[in-house]
Amino acid sequence: MTSAEEAIRWRKLVEDSFRREIGTQGALTDSHADLIETGVLDSMGWVSFLRTLESVSGVNELGALLTNVPPTLENIFSALQDARFSADTSDAKVLKANPSTRPSDVLITHSSAALGSRIIPSAQVDLAFGMPEGKLRKRAGIESLAYAADGENELILGARAAQQVLHDAGGPVQELDWIIVTSETHRGYPSLAAQLHSQLLARETCGALDVGGACLGLLNGLAVAQGLIVSRQARIIVVVTADVHSRLLTPGRVAGEFGGLFGDGASAFLLRAEVGAEVRAKMPQEDSFGAQHSYRLGEFLFGCVGQYAGAIRLADAPEGQLALHFDGEALSRAAVTRMEKVILDLESRSGFPRSSLQGLATHQPNPRLVALLAKQCGLAADKFPVVAQTFGNLGSSTCGVALDSILRATQTLSIEQRRPIFLASLGPGLLFGGAWLELQRG
Amino acid sequence: MTKLLITEVTRMGPAFCVIGLQRENQKIHSVRPVSPNTNGWMDFPHQRGDILQCELTPFPGAKPHIEDRVSTRGFQKDSTVSELETVTYLRKAEIAHSMRELFGCPVHANKSGSGLYAIPGEATRSICGTETRNLRLEFYANELRATLVLSSGEVLRDLPLVDRDWRDFIDAALSESRGANRLGRLERFLNSQFHYKILSCPHHFIRLGLTRPYREVCWLMLDTLFPLPKLEWLEEF
Repeated sequence: MTSAEEAIRWRKLVEDSFRREIGTQGALTDSHADLIETGVLDSMGWVSFLRTLESVSGVNELGALLTNVPPTLENIFSALQDARFSADTSDAKVLKANPSTRPSDVLITHSSAALGSRIIPSAQVDLAFGMPEGKLRKRAGIESLAYAADGENELILGARAAQQVLHDAGGPVQELDWIIVTSETHRGYPSLAAQLHSQLLARETCGALDVGGACLGLLNGLAVAQGLIVSRQARIIVVVTADVHSRLLTPGRVAGEFGGLFGDGASAFLLRAEVGAEVRAKMPQEDSFGAQHSYRLGEFLFGCVGQYAGAIRLADAPEGQLALHFDGEALSRAAVTRMEKVILDLESRSGFPRSSLQGLATHQPNPRLVALLAKQCGLAADKFPVVAQTFGNLGSSTCGVALDSILRATQTLSIEQRRPIFLASLGPGLLFGGAWLELQRG
Repeated sequence: MTKLLITEVTRMGPAFCVIGLQRENQKIHSVRPVSPNTNGWMDFPHQRGDILQCELTPFPGAKPHIEDRVSTRGFQKDSTVSELETVTYLRKAEIAHSMRELFGCPVHANKSGSGLYAIPGEATRSICGTETRNLRLEFYANELRATLVLSSGEVLRDLPLVDRDWRDFIDAALSESRGANRLGRLERFLNSQFHYKILSCPHHFIRLGLTRPYREVCWLMLDTLFPLPKLEWLEEF
């Protein structure tokens, strides 16, 4: 991006954030005017505006840069320029050391999903939890759930998804540098990553890492993988999610209004450093490394909204029981509001309007909330793949199964027809995260 | 005549807002004396802990500012109680342990940016005390903001600190007469000694308030932070 294009992008970020605060489509105010003295913003609005701008720009020190200067748009532009200059300088050092890898040059080349083999009608789950028949369908919109069959567990489902991507990629298991795994249901040691390492027969010097975050786990895993690749600690990484709720959230341990929402599934993604166009041109395949997909990871944003920490809490209780606190109403409200905000921030930061998206791989607590989120965002419901309605809430694998579904749908499209993809998810805490996938550079 | 123990003096633009505790039928509750014409006082020479004699009449204030009373005569100082004793009384007045209990209604996060608010028609009061597990102050783009954790574990982020004594202390810390690098020194204080002084204090206590309705919502504020700052702390940074 040229410096003129960068300046336009920063200005647009400021304008978008400002309009989000003042709630108007009107023109920007005089850039030298004191926003508080002129009454355009009060002090609450000023801080709120800057927090939004930090979120969408990724510049986290705006408050410090704007101390001792009047609250004007001009001062914001110049603070952003200072921050960008300092970031550019440090980026330059990194690039000098690692000239072939720029930040974000990480491709998702293959994906796969594996679901519990038993598809159970939700009415059957209603009865198992002692709820009136039809409650899950009417209240949450869940038609059926994918449950693990006898002999299936997190390891089996995770391995099935991982082996599929490795198979599709031509079996580079010996090339894997890391296996990164997330699961909100697997408990015990060896950890799931270690078990998968053995199951896949990865080489001994391939790392195995478990990351947490519950339903946010996939995004956490992808972000860690991106970091390892851009810092040249790794070239090829598989990120796996695997969740088997049907053996953890059982009737008698948790209420059906909570336990009945969840199904079992797994997903896997193969990530590797993007090679330059010159290298790619010399390769025999038309697509780089025979990649199934042609998307690269964009930027991530993460955070934690602690005021909703009390909405869901789950802990071990004596005699094998689970202590669950679940304020469904508060959690639903918080989930939709926060995911909408993540999507808004991704839109601002990436420059991709939501109308231009191929689809959104989001967490799907239940189908009703997905419909509500689509409505709040002004998007067609089919931009969100059907996951929770058919398989239930799959925990960290919901986002993964949704992303795999979108990526597979793009395979029937020409490169020109493919569009960016947004990822957005939440975890207890209330953790939140978002990222985007954009098309591989020419 | 009413006896009022002054517990809050907050800065609201150029004016001050005052809240005190009144004992009525063995109960202690908060009362906000307002002048007949405005909600604030342009001059309020009294301190927290002062017990004032005043004459208050009920005022048909709109929810959630049900604590409003019109002061029909001037304030006359009767006596003073210590900071510790003031907090002891505050702990017997309105108190909450979770976000939902604070104002008897849901607290919402600002959809577009930062800050928390309550809906005026839903909130049942506009002032409440609470204990905190942790608290951090930040001087952010010339504004003083607090982030805190309630005893329930819920986090309240980006609340404006309007406590007059704390705001005066910050102004004094940034006064030109204090030499160079004042902001850096203040930030270091807020991130180190401040934290220790506040959280290790046995009578650490806060009160949260709601602003008057603005664009149909009432924003949460940190009205009072105990212990109050001491001028000698300025010598430490």
